[in-house]
Amino acid sequence: MRNSLLILAILLLCFSISALSAENDDHADYVKHVEQGFLYLFQGDNQATIKAFESALAIDPNRYEILHYLGMSYASDSSWNKAVEVYNRSLALKPDNIEVLYSLAIVYFKLNQWEDAVEPLKSVISLSPQHARAHEVLGKVYVKLRQYTDAVDVLNKAIVLKPNAAGNYYELGNAHLNLKSYPEAIDFFNKAIQFGPPDFADPHFGLGTAYQRIGNRDKSREEMQIYQRLQKEAADYERFTRLTRVDPNNLDGWTGLAGVMMRQKKYKRVIPVFQKCIEIGNAQNAPVGAIASYYHGLSQAFINIRYPKLALEPAQKAIQLLPTQDRFYNTLGSVYAMLGDVQNAISVFRKAVELNEEQPYYHLNLSKLYKSIGNHKLGDQHYQAYEHFLSQQKKTQK
Amino acid sequence: MNIRRFSAVILIFFYFLVVSIDVSAEERENMMILIQAGTFTMGSTSRAEDEKPAHKVFIDAFYISKYEVTNAEYYEFWINLQKKNSKNVTEENQHTPENFSHLPHIGTHIGNWPERATKLPDHPVVGVSWYDAKAYAEWKGMRLPTEAEWEKAARGYSDRIWPWGNSMLPHANTSEQNDGYDNMIAPVGSYPKGKSFFGAMDMAGNVWEWTADWYSDVYYTHSPNRNPKGPDVGSWRILRGGSWIDKLARCSTTFRFYLYPSLKTSFVGFRVAKSVDKSDKD
Repeated sequence: MRNSLLILAILLLCFSISALSAENDDHADYVKHVEQGFLYLFQGDNQATIKAFESALAIDPNRYEILHYLGMSYASDSSWNKAVEVYNRSLALKPDNIEVLYSLAIVYFKLNQWEDAVEPLKSVISLSPQHARAHEVLGKVYVKLRQYTDAVDVLNKAIVLKPNAAGNYYELGNAHLNLKSYPEAIDFFNKAIQFGPPDFADPHFGLGTAYQRIGNRDKSREEMQIYQRLQKEAADYERFTRLTRVDPNNLDGWTGLAGVMMRQKKYKRVIPVFQKCIEIGNAQNAPVGAIASYYHGLSQAFINIRYPKLALEPAQKAIQLLPTQDRFYNTLGSVYAMLGDVQNAISVFRKAVELNEEQPYYHLNLSKLYKSIGNHKLGDQHYQAYEHFLSQQKKTQK
Repeated sequence: MNIRRFSAVILIFFYFLVVSIDVSAEERENMMILIQAGTFTMGSTSRAEDEKPAHKVFIDAFYISKYEVTNAEYYEFWINLQKKNSKNVTEENQHTPENFSHLPHIGTHIGNWPERATKLPDHPVVGVSWYDAKAYAEWKGMRLPTEAEWEKAARGYSDRIWPWGNSMLPHANTSEQNDGYDNMIAPVGSYPKGKSFFGAMDMAGNVWEWTADWYSDVYYTHSPNRNPKGPDVGSWRILRGGSWIDKLARCSTTFRFYLYPSLKTSFVGFRVAKSVDKSDKD
């Protein structure tokens, strides 16, 4: 009897230890998958992230947080329906989770299921009244659903929370346009332009439409022309980007891309593009003039993002390659001026004037510099030259 | 059999192992840096969207710990809890850091809890949730720093991109350096050149640090300009400083990261803060 009890006790102990060990192993595996999931998430590897988080959830399916991260990975992978399924599983475990509700609404928005997006967004706003993104998306959803009055109401709150968001002003402009409140529409489209990137075309179309409706044909035409130009630039940007992706050594593609990006004022992002132009241009023995213009463009990009130190060398290089281009001297002069080197700036601007006396802005630059060092006589002379050549230029343009 | 009960049995063993660890832990305990009241620039105009706009923020004087909380320091809190809660053990009241010894490549050096408190006493504690961090801070009579306090302590008054300045230098434990701490956590204070203007260590890299605030991407557009404490509600808590698995760019003084507060990972730890009492000022 005593032996039987002892055996039973040993068996029970073994069973308990093995159960504990299995539990520990499962948890260890769960932790391993979660850690790997985060590593892959940070590396932007959606497929590996999904696999890791799915494995973690196979061990512990009740982790609402991991379900959220998994859903976000599916969404990043454009697997929208899978994301909806996973978000709903997460919400079943924690129904008031603000960010999961918001993520779910975003997926419905991507799927053009506007009606489905409304309720989760309303829940987010009710749980977190300061949630700017939820106001923003709900406003867009209402515009899509043609509930313009609701859209105006929600978007007005969105711009209080996020005062510089051009997209919200644009949507407000749209809503007012559809409500036939044209002065408000014009005001909001203008704000969208003010706060948006220089290549934001849509508000110009909105403005063109609004001006047309109130009978201001000139302004309408003007805005539509800007819209068309920006649209063309956007199409060119797409075309050149695609071209350089397909054929990374296509110098025409990189040159075209740099040109479009300069017109779009994407100065920071154009820097590596000019550097690529120089690299490929040199490798392919491109004409000296072309290489010089890439250096010049690079220098201008640095000037525009206010890095004169980095603009100096490419400006000098451009002149070294092509010493007859007046505009290169003007750029180098601007660099010296930004660096506070007035004497060198004056000498370089003078060289620009020597090569092209009729460019008014070279005189204006010289005028400002001379005045800054107290030489008012030369400052005035160049200012007069500036006015003279400017009026001539205007006459020619007419 | 409850895993918590089972682990309680072996606590006593580890208690005797760890009570004798590193005396420098005691010294470190008192290393709180006083950050004087004043205004600094929070956020940035040119980096991530949720860092915008750069704005002036006034913060009352506060203390912040010079180092991230170490394994040894956390162990003291943890063992105390085990003794206190030995008859009423729940997952919530244990605040046990996560185990990592089974992780291929990334976790082998971190090891399991509580063994790692003995093996790596000067390493920052990781595998702790926001709730664990908060409980520790409260046990010490302190609290987690607010996001604004953290940024001020890291950034100083001259808008530094990294705690040491604006140059991309290898003064932090990140994933990019080949400095003997590749793919691993470093003991706190291993990068003295990376100290902040106020002298706080490891505010870039090593481990992400929990802060008290909820995350909102647009909080800076409407936050109060005096002692902001984050939104009232949220899903995620803010982490700052970057970690051993991140590139230096993510370890800037302004970069904002967020996680669910319940998560316990190998790249997240914390440091503590304390308000300055009136008596302290006098």
